[in-house]
Amino acid sequence: MLVVENLVKNYGRVTAVGGVSFRVETGDIFTLLGPSGCGKTTTLQCVAGLETPSSGRIEMGDTTVYCSARNVLVPANRRQLGMVFQSYAIWPHMTVFDNVAFPLLHVERRPSAVEMKSRVMRALDLVKMGSFATRPAPHLSGGQQQRIALARALVHEPRLLLLDEPLSNLDAKLRDHMRVELRQLIKQLGITTIFVTHDQTEALSMSDRIMLMRDGRVVQVGTPREIYLRPGSSFVSDFLGRSDLVPCELVDAAAGVVRTPFGILHCVVPASLDRIGPHRVAVRPISVALVKATPGAAPGRNRFLGTLCETTFLGDVVEAQVDLAGFKLRATFNPHVELHEGDAVQVNFGDGMCVVVKDDMADGGAPQ
Amino acid sequence: MSVAAAGAQGTRLMRVAPAALAAFLFLLIVGPLVVLLLTSFADPKVLFFERLTFTFNNYVDVIARPGTGRLIWNTLVYATCTTVLGVVLATAMAWLTERTDMPGRMAVRILMFSWMAVPPLVFAYGWILLINPGNGAINVLLRGLFGLRGELLSPYSMTALVVISSLSLVPTAYVMLSGLLRNMDPSLEDAGTVLGAGRLRVLGSITLPVLTPGLLSVMIFAYVGMIQTFDFPLVLGANSGIQVLSTRIFLLAAPDMGKPNYGLAGAFGVFLLLLAMVLMWGYFRATRVSERFRVVSGRGFRPKRTTLGAWKPVAIGFFVGYLVLMLLPILILLWASLLPFYRVPNLADFANLTVAAYGRVFAQPTFVRAIGNTVLLVAVSSACVILLSCVISWFSLRARNTAGRLVDLLAFAPIAIPPVVMAIAMLLFFMVSPIYGTIWVIIIGHITIFIAFGTRTMSGAFIQIHRELEDAATISGAGWWSMFGRIVMPLVWVHAVNAWLWVVAHSARDLTFPLILLTSSNVVVASSIFVTWSYPDLPAASALSMLMVGALILLVIPVQIFAFRRHEAI
Repeated sequence: MLVVENLVKNYGRVTAVGGVSFRVETGDIFTLLGPSGCGKTTTLQCVAGLETPSSGRIEMGDTTVYCSARNVLVPANRRQLGMVFQSYAIWPHMTVFDNVAFPLLHVERRPSAVEMKSRVMRALDLVKMGSFATRPAPHLSGGQQQRIALARALVHEPRLLLLDEPLSNLDAKLRDHMRVELRQLIKQLGITTIFVTHDQTEALSMSDRIMLMRDGRVVQVGTPREIYLRPGSSFVSDFLGRSDLVPCELVDAAAGVVRTPFGILHCVVPASLDRIGPHRVAVRPISVALVKATPGAAPGRNRFLGTLCETTFLGDVVEAQVDLAGFKLRATFNPHVELHEGDAVQVNFGDGMCVVVKDDMADGGAPQ
Repeated sequence: MSVAAAGAQGTRLMRVAPAALAAFLFLLIVGPLVVLLLTSFADPKVLFFERLTFTFNNYVDVIARPGTGRLIWNTLVYATCTTVLGVVLATAMAWLTERTDMPGRMAVRILMFSWMAVPPLVFAYGWILLINPGNGAINVLLRGLFGLRGELLSPYSMTALVVISSLSLVPTAYVMLSGLLRNMDPSLEDAGTVLGAGRLRVLGSITLPVLTPGLLSVMIFAYVGMIQTFDFPLVLGANSGIQVLSTRIFLLAAPDMGKPNYGLAGAFGVFLLLLAMVLMWGYFRATRVSERFRVVSGRGFRPKRTTLGAWKPVAIGFFVGYLVLMLLPILILLWASLLPFYRVPNLADFANLTVAAYGRVFAQPTFVRAIGNTVLLVAVSSACVILLSCVISWFSLRARNTAGRLVDLLAFAPIAIPPVVMAIAMLLFFMVSPIYGTIWVIIIGHITIFIAFGTRTMSGAFIQIHRELEDAATISGAGWWSMFGRIVMPLVWVHAVNAWLWVVAHSARDLTFPLILLTSSNVVVASSIFVTWSYPDLPAASALSMLMVGALILLVIPVQIFAFRRHEAI
């Protein structure tokens, strides 16, 4: 549905997007994820037509909306898009109805008043705001404004729905709720969606595919499962979810054996891994089981002995640091388990749960 | 390929429109100034379009002339004293209405904002009737009450000129200062109080230092205004031989007798222009500092008000006193307009009051033409200023290219150009054009001068519009005109109406352009009042003044009240 090729956007001498290519299949929710300043919003703005790229090509369906080589540029208002903005951008001088009806005033064949009304009401009902049609727009809560913005983005049946951090202005409870509802709604309509966020939970729970960006470039593209469980680099592993990145050396790549500061570890070495270091083992806290060491316990395959040196009670879990032969490893354990600082513990690394990644964070500061 | 063409159009607008606006403004503003500069370097007997000549004679003349030192001294003394007195009074008033529990704050604010309906010319004539040495009403009253003799008060002195000008400056300074005080976060002061500072200590070591940059910028702004001001020194200074730069330039370019000396006027004009530009540079420095001190933390705080207690009557007395000083000149002009021949106000003459003077005004063709011209002038210049300001401000804000920045700079430049200088530049610029001597030159002059205020106001309004509100319209399929007309303008129209009102009032009351460009066909009410007063026909001049003030008040006060309601509601 959407093809972006070699998209570049420079602001003067600063490169915001440096040659990004991706493809979105019809009906997919495709997420652009990354830290602030990674170029995800600029990429979205280029797709929307609100920014003019420096070079590259953007295709929607069978139309080319931008191509620097052929000097094609379709302006934003002719791209037939729907977009929900971070601030919702609900026009305060209009009623809810007028806000939602606005895109219909500008479609190629303007519908009759009767049809317009029925389409606006259908869009409002879709977001459960039908009874608010005559309300002036300023008298709405954040969640309501967000629904109106969504109705406005959908009312003219756009080719593509663009969502620019639509949940970031909602409070935490509402955000959890809207996440589920938004995905259900989009899937029900089957509309192709590009979703920009810096929130990994939103990205993981809502997307069909995620594109992780960093410094204007694509780092990894994949399903949420792929990206989370098989991170391609230490940056990906660190950005998505919590993980300890343990420095390591490859001992036997084929057998998945590496040497870490606390000993030999058996883990997953992806076939695609660049064998030239430096490497790290990405260890998620959930991939590590922590139990009280029984007297006389001995280390074994993926089993190490250490001392519990710091705990932080977080409610759902207790976060802990374990001293493994001088290396501080982060792990969690069930708060019902009685473990105290200073206790001798046994650490079991789950088989096939830890992945060796290329260390691409050396310049970005060592991960904790 | 049609798609490609349409695409190019979208960005082409952002490229072409700012460039076109920049070229237009350049012609409008820089063109006349270049002609003025040429004239100042030209032989006084030769006009620039006859033959280009080059000489430093005019500048040598300016420097060598014995009166020049005195002229500059007068200008600086006048501007300094007026600014200090006006800003001090305005600061006291702004503090009382914004930060204390003084009653009637709303009324004070509306009156202050509405003062623009009273032309300085009218205010000055009122004071002449009140305190002229011969039969000034207050002089007569004082003599009668205390059995005194001789000239007690006189409007024809530097002191009187300063006091009357500063009274008239107070409302403008008040408007700027009240905004400043209103936006100051009171938690800064609370922090001082919590940390144990007393009330005076907080005022001295927190409130004043925080306000200083803003206060300074208001003072410089007022100072530039007073350097440029023309009406008061012309009406009050001319009789007493007090000349300032602006009146000197006027008398050189439009002398009572003899040929105008445009070369010398131009040289003085360039000098005044440079002075104003240096001061504006200082203003920008000061506002840059005040931006750094910016204590505006958005909405959400209500300024804490000091309880006046026993001081309340004093504060009210202060305002009543000021109000009396402002209203007396208008009341005496009203009196003068209702008598066939002017006599000092007395009870017996109440029986003789008549509206005959107003009848005369509407019967005489010259007055009718003046009124018609004024309506044309005000309507066209205000509409053009607002339309241009909206477009200019929007493009200079959104088009982040060189042309956009140039447009912004050009539109603001006239703030440093003294109207008297611009008027002479316009006179010379259009001297060989078919519109010379018509009302249209005045209209173009007013558009040029007032566009700076218009663009500042509209930029302030546009900045408050979140960019995404516009982007949402574009994504929804709206083209530029639809986006601008349906989304942007409805959101800023209150600001546009306010700016329009300001331009209407200032265009109607301006004397500089009408007087310097005066011919028999382009007379407007302001210049007509001046001419009729000098003629002298006091009742007709007073009646015209009252008509102008009345018409402006009928326009200004309802709009101000409406705007305040909106403001309070938001």
